[in-house]
Amino acid sequence: MGDGKRVYLTKEQILTDLRDGMADAVDLGDIPELSGDELDKLMDIITMPSRMVGVEAGMEVPVTHDIGTIRLDGDQGNSGVGIPSSRLVGCMVHERAFGADTMELGHIDYSFKPVKPVIAQEMQTMEVCQQNMIIPLLYGAMPNMGLYYTPDGPFENPGDLMKAFKIQEAQESMEHAAKHLTRDIVWIMQRMMASGADGVNFDTVGAAGDGDMYASLHAIEALRKQYPDMYIEAGMAGELMLGLHGEMAYDGTVLAGLWPHQQAPLVAKAGANIFGPVVNTNTSKSFAWNLGRAVTFVKAAVKASPIPCHVNMGMGVGGIPMLETPTIDAVSRASKAMVEIANVDGI
Amino acid sequence: MSKEETFKLLSDAVVSCKKDAVLAAVEKAKSEGIEPAEIIEKGLASGMNSVGIMFERGKLFLPHVMMAAGAMEAGVKLLEADMPKDAAKKKLAVIVNGTVEGDVHDIGKSIVSTMLQSSGFEVHDLGRDVPLQDFIDKVKETGASMVGMSALMTTTLPGQREVIEMLKEQGLRDKVKVMVGGAPATQTWADKIGADCYAENASEAVARAKELLL
Amino acid sequence: MGVGDPMGMPITHIMTSGMSGIRAAGDLVARMEMSKSMRVGDAKNYVAKKLGVSTLDLSDEYVMRELREELGIGVITSVAGAPKGIAAKMNIEKLLDIKINCCEKFRQKIR
Repeated sequence: MGDGKRVYLTKEQILTDLRDGMADAVDLGDIPELSGDELDKLMDIITMPSRMVGVEAGMEVPVTHDIGTIRLDGDQGNSGVGIPSSRLVGCMVHERAFGADTMELGHIDYSFKPVKPVIAQEMQTMEVCQQNMIIPLLYGAMPNMGLYYTPDGPFENPGDLMKAFKIQEAQESMEHAAKHLTRDIVWIMQRMMASGADGVNFDTVGAAGDGDMYASLHAIEALRKQYPDMYIEAGMAGELMLGLHGEMAYDGTVLAGLWPHQQAPLVAKAGANIFGPVVNTNTSKSFAWNLGRAVTFVKAAVKASPIPCHVNMGMGVGGIPMLETPTIDAVSRASKAMVEIANVDGI
Repeated sequence: MSKEETFKLLSDAVVSCKKDAVLAAVEKAKSEGIEPAEIIEKGLASGMNSVGIMFERGKLFLPHVMMAAGAMEAGVKLLEADMPKDAAKKKLAVIVNGTVEGDVHDIGKSIVSTMLQSSGFEVHDLGRDVPLQDFIDKVKETGASMVGMSALMTTTLPGQREVIEMLKEQGLRDKVKVMVGGAPATQTWADKIGADCYAENASEAVARAKELLL
Repeated sequence: MGVGDPMGMPITHIMTSGMSGIRAAGDLVARMEMSKSMRVGDAKNYVAKKLGVSTLDLSDEYVMRELREELGIGVITSVAGAPKGIAAKMNIEKLLDIKINCCEKFRQKIR
């Protein structure tokens, strides 16, 4: 199930759920269905008797990472396993023990805004990591525009304003916050690039709605202009861009209501190298329903994207159950399906 | 114009999110002699339901929902004089909503509050990082019939269970329904802690609240 | 990929779908995706051509282990005296005909 619980379904039930999940994506995103062959292949992947599956030889893809080393040294809130270790050790463990293709450095809060007071620490750590590592090492953080609203930030909380029917004031607050967020991201990444970072990973773009995406796209645009060779990865927060503002636009396109296949061209236009589509897992539906839906959405995004797509495959996204100790049989099957059916360029 | 056509006119006016259009449609319905209660239930409220569906499908957004709710409220006000005293102002039910202590996530919970409010509930949004006793105190103060609790972290999720236990200890559990949500919450979790319902998103929260309270 | 415990999430993905980093040629393919926005097929073709191997070899530990050591681009085990860190990345720059930011910064600091 989408919450990780083991259930037993007949082949007919699995096929029905696959089709229903696919139909939901087709309906919401106005995107093509999977072909009969692709549904058959999904069925094969789900019903393979082995605990783990693997992609066919030659179809392997690079993997990129969110949350930095927090999964090792962090607490339960980030599914961290609490191993006391430096971030250099964490990064090198990913490179040399896990066989990671790329890695990122991130700090324990993992939002851009709180990096500002500790920027020298981040720069120093990036320098040390770059001296010791070989795989591409990005600096990763969440735009997290919510931190710019009261009580965490200087601007009035749009949620409160909206509830009081102060719609225009709420929109203005989001516009001010977006400007500050763009400025902070650029400022931070200028310093990380001066410390040898390969680039930046924007994790959970749009978590605070369309203003969050607006700010991130403008930050990407500014960084690309200043650093033509910088690696820029932008992973989304959810499948649908929430229109908290409702009218913010980038390059003439209103951001609210965009689905993954509509987000990809805008992220590419801003100047990113890698787009990370997200499809949310419904915890009340089966793994088959969620995987059928996620693969349909992501396949359309991969097709529409002018840049490589590294699908978000964490807890509760990409067909993977919402469980902090993810069930290996489900993760492995979702991973294989995304590579072989959705044709992703990476995970 | 048939009654059905007038109801559609009212509903479409709410979906357009325009106050002027709603007021004009209400005037027209009144002039046709339709009862205020019918104008509200079969016209305006039906429009708000459509707005909710369009929100869920990403076709309308939060500001639109609020504008539609504002327009509907103006329409209802126009009918007040023809209705029994206070009938127009009557809310569906009172709900206390908030994010549990230790958790500073606000946005998803705020969307739920806004959607509930737009659907006619009286919502008392306690904000985020809410001390658990505050949920209980607010229920007592407002006579709420439902408590909604959000948590976005596995570490703060147990706060939802604690509030349920506190409701039991203070003799309030039978008087209020409990709804839980947030990324790590699931139906299994809701069952385990004895919540009355779990909602996957804001639209579902409105649907569950209506099922349990109306 | 996002959150989840190390074995359940990154290790499972890497075992299922990953190119296994410097055990094979995953870092090189990733660099081409990220530096030139190449789709995975193009990136693999580019790297394979530069290495003089087939694209299938890019995930083949047997082929890549020896090749990486010969080219001085870093190997997974701690081989004494073999290029590591920025030294290995300077060799990757030459091999793939790209610039790597930290190598540029390193060069700028040498007087």
